[in-house]
Amino acid sequence: MRLYLLLAGARLRGQTQYRVSFALQVASSFTSTFVELLALLILFRTFSSLGGWSVGEVAFLYGLASVSFALAELFGEGLEQASRMIREGEFDRVLTRPVAPLLQVLAADIQPRRIGRLAQGILALALAGRWTTIDWTPLKAALFIGAIASTAVVFLTVFLIGAAICFWTIESSEFQNIFTYGGTELASNPLQIYSRWLQGIFLYIVPLGLTTFYPAAHILAKPDPFGLPPFTPFLAPLVAALFLGLGLLIWGLGLRQYQSTGS
Amino acid sequence: MRVYLEAARMSYRCYRTYGAATLAGLATNGFFGLLRSSVFIAFYEGRPIAEGYTLDDALTYVWLTQGMIMPLFLWGWLEIADTIRSGSIASDLAKPLDYFGFWLGRDLGRAAYHILYRWLPTILIGLIFFGIGLPGSALAWLAFALSFLLAIVLSFCLRFMINVVGFWTTDVRGIMGMVLLFVNFLTGFLVPLEFFPPALRAIVTELPFAAMISIPNKIFLEQAQGRDLLLLLGRQLFWVVVFVGAAWLLLRSATRKLVVQGG
Repeated sequence: MRLYLLLAGARLRGQTQYRVSFALQVASSFTSTFVELLALLILFRTFSSLGGWSVGEVAFLYGLASVSFALAELFGEGLEQASRMIREGEFDRVLTRPVAPLLQVLAADIQPRRIGRLAQGILALALAGRWTTIDWTPLKAALFIGAIASTAVVFLTVFLIGAAICFWTIESSEFQNIFTYGGTELASNPLQIYSRWLQGIFLYIVPLGLTTFYPAAHILAKPDPFGLPPFTPFLAPLVAALFLGLGLLIWGLGLRQYQSTGS
Repeated sequence: MRVYLEAARMSYRCYRTYGAATLAGLATNGFFGLLRSSVFIAFYEGRPIAEGYTLDDALTYVWLTQGMIMPLFLWGWLEIADTIRSGSIASDLAKPLDYFGFWLGRDLGRAAYHILYRWLPTILIGLIFFGIGLPGSALAWLAFALSFLLAIVLSFCLRFMINVVGFWTTDVRGIMGMVLLFVNFLTGFLVPLEFFPPALRAIVTELPFAAMISIPNKIFLEQAQGRDLLLLLGRQLFWVVVFVGAAWLLLRSATRKLVVQGG
């Protein structure tokens, strides 16, 4: 852990050397996601509810997904770079060092510009706070924090699996975007508006539905459209941990059969 | 003229070699199309028409715009900026042909590829799974084709100008990201401009960005006939003339201060 902080800290200092460029990137990260939020608000001008959820409630779900994804992006940038390292043979260097490869990959890149998305997610949550009346209890607060952490872990695991798949395919694939960018987009809306098989995929395979929708529905006191057991919202951390375990397993398998591309 | 056609043909063939990437990209466009469709279907529940759009219109809009992403290359393009960085721009400028025309030719070749392999399949997916509407007459198709072409040229000019800013600064990436994000919103890609609040809408429809997505979309949906249709096309043509002129002027002042990097 100390080593990660050391390596990531060095990266961070490097990143912030170019002030103007850095400011522009943060600003663009903020606007990119901000216009999405704006688009949602514009649609809610015309329509009053989305699958039985009001604008404030959807903003809450949206903010929850956004903040989690931003955290995952912030710490998982190195995983997105892993495919390049593998393709260019740079990964060999990682393997020769006496530090766990995953730790090195994670610390290889950290992108503070992602705070733009984070800021936007917090803005959405603030708006949701104004537009809804949530009956906060300590349990709900804990669930809220747990949901954000769990969702971030799920996204990080998607990055991890995406990187691990490169051990076999060498090429990275745009397919991963379906579960990352597509995943946040999907998780920003109430799950009942999607078709059954989409719901199935995002509840039981990439469990974003369990880490975002269910905790949010519980906090907002919305009915459960799928009739799952009442303790389902509290399963988020467990589900995220299981999914992470699966990701680590795939990463380990990939690492074991990794063959250098040479050069 | 032949040399520009040749540039277009080469660039078309260059893109055709990436079959797997095309498939992954299509899957991503399709997935987002599915999500956006689900949102509109849920919003329209129990409501036949909103802001002049029926649900079918909204779905057509979703799949048309999803298909237009790649032909218009909305997610950014830095090929020229890269040649400025590497210094190879010097040899491009030394070629005995018009620099702007050369890149326009290349971009149209690329767009032809993306229309055939990204736009057309995306429209087909929308047609098969969501029964979207298509223009009903040959004339409507012709008008749309013309409008689409003008939109592509306009988008090229915008991207060209952002790249040329690279003559002054080596950090075009941030600017490109920033501009294209606004573009996403102002073109009516995220939400049709018809849904905007009236005051905002009055401004946005006057901007050149509307000519990139909103106008072709209106024409595809056959929302304008006769004189109105001609006015829309005229508006697009006007912006194309302005943008080509601006791109030309910018290029001229840029090449005057060219400092070639590398060597």
